[in-house]
Amino acid sequence: MVVKQEVVVVVIKVFKKKNLKHINFIILVLVSIQFTFGQSQDSTQVYKKRVLETTEVDFLSSYYTQDGDNAAVSGGIGTEELTDVTATFIVSIPLNDDDVLTIDAGVSAYTSASSSNIDPFNGSADPFVSSSGASGGDVWTNVTGTYSHSSDDRNDIWSAKLSVSAEYDYFSVGVGGSYTKLFNQKNTEVNINGNVYIDTWNAIYPMELRPFAEGGSGLDSDLFIRNTITGNTDYDPNFTTFDNEGRNSYALGFGFSQILSKNLQGSLALDLVMQEGLLSTPFQRVYFSDIADSFIDNFQLADDIERLPDSRFKVAVGGRLNYYINETFVLRTFYRYYYDDWGIKSHTASLEVPIKLNDKFTLYPSYRFYNQTAADYFNVYEGHLSSDEYYTSDYDLSKYSANQFSLGASYTDIFTKFHIWKLGLKSIDLKYTQYDRDNTLSASIITAGFKFIMD
Amino acid sequence: MIKKSVILILLLSLSTSCVVVKEYEKVNLNDPDMVLSDKKSDRNITTAHSYREAAAGANGGKTGGGCGCN
Repeated sequence: MVVKQEVVVVVIKVFKKKNLKHINFIILVLVSIQFTFGQSQDSTQVYKKRVLETTEVDFLSSYYTQDGDNAAVSGGIGTEELTDVTATFIVSIPLNDDDVLTIDAGVSAYTSASSSNIDPFNGSADPFVSSSGASGGDVWTNVTGTYSHSSDDRNDIWSAKLSVSAEYDYFSVGVGGSYTKLFNQKNTEVNINGNVYIDTWNAIYPMELRPFAEGGSGLDSDLFIRNTITGNTDYDPNFTTFDNEGRNSYALGFGFSQILSKNLQGSLALDLVMQEGLLSTPFQRVYFSDIADSFIDNFQLADDIERLPDSRFKVAVGGRLNYYINETFVLRTFYRYYYDDWGIKSHTASLEVPIKLNDKFTLYPSYRFYNQTAADYFNVYEGHLSSDEYYTSDYDLSKYSANQFSLGASYTDIFTKFHIWKLGLKSIDLKYTQYDRDNTLSASIITAGFKFIMD
Repeated sequence: MIKKSVILILLLSLSTSCVVVKEYEKVNLNDPDMVLSDKKSDRNITTAHSYREAAAGANGGKTGGGCGCN
């Protein structure tokens, strides 16, 4: 380019000497040629926009409460009161133009009246009253690392994921990967992803059943010496612990998305999940109708814990359709059909209409409907027979419908004026959600999200 | 059901040539509220669903594993 400019200058000097009248015209032509040539040179250079311009940090938090009258821990009756607080940091770091490393670390702490009743014998035992036992709370921690790589033309994206999570009675290691292909001028996208989770329970059983496990002292145990059994005083559950405390999940997912017009786009997703191992929750009681009832105070002693098959195959098919109505309104829709080989079929539908008040504030009203049929192995309190092979009174596996209403608000500052250290605040999201089932369970959740961009 | 879903996805794949929106025409499609997934800040709501509901998956959330749910 420097050589070219020197040539232009020399030519101009020559023409200045010979014909000054035409100098302006010649300069104009030469500059035009140079400009045109330069433009064609520039257009052949490959400009590669970074997949992620700078480090981004998301802080997500939520406060969840629920209550209901069908606690699975106490066999389908009792309080479902639960409170959970969650905090998560997600840090996305651009390693170069093409690669991004994302670290996702979260903590979730809950207190639960129902799980406190794994051991309800710390006072006046009652399924509708929380106990002061140690099982009334737990902390779940999770760290997930994801590495993604995009091709130069950004039409191929690979990612790999490793996750570890732990609770007091549950530990999980997961690995996964995905491949995404964009084509048709990035109007069409297909995706395939796979995840494997290798999980292990540290099984905790209801307090009154533990003396009846192999090697236990039965009614001679300290629990029954300290407390008086009423009703059927000859309490003798046929209880065995689980031999296998592992649970493996294998998930394969397919995605397809398509731009349908300048204002409309949609996607389809198919998820196939195979689970095997201990799929029962070891501390959830079951009461049989053909066995006489035994009590300590107002708490009925378990006949057994839930017993579910050691495999489950799940299929979920979902679709989204989003329509940009105008500068104020967007229409977001979602539908999913789900079924599994435990006999559950489910429909989920949701509608959200983001309303842009101005360039900073947006409101997010939404409604979601959910229903499901009962699992083949579900029955209500005292609904099972001791001769059944599989049984549960967990109302999460019962037939029900649920309605959910949400209202959210977001604040966006593209100039990131507010700073904490080198992090500029880009957006704040707040949302309140009310979730009500037709089987007494009611829940509410407040979520908050803060997005920061590093300078 | 799986067969029908696969056929539907294939049919939609074949219909992709019916419209091509150029990059400079994607202003509305690139609006953050047009993204074809849940907002990141809604993740804890999706997680709560995965604890309380039997159905999971096909929404970008977890499909099982990693916690005692499902």
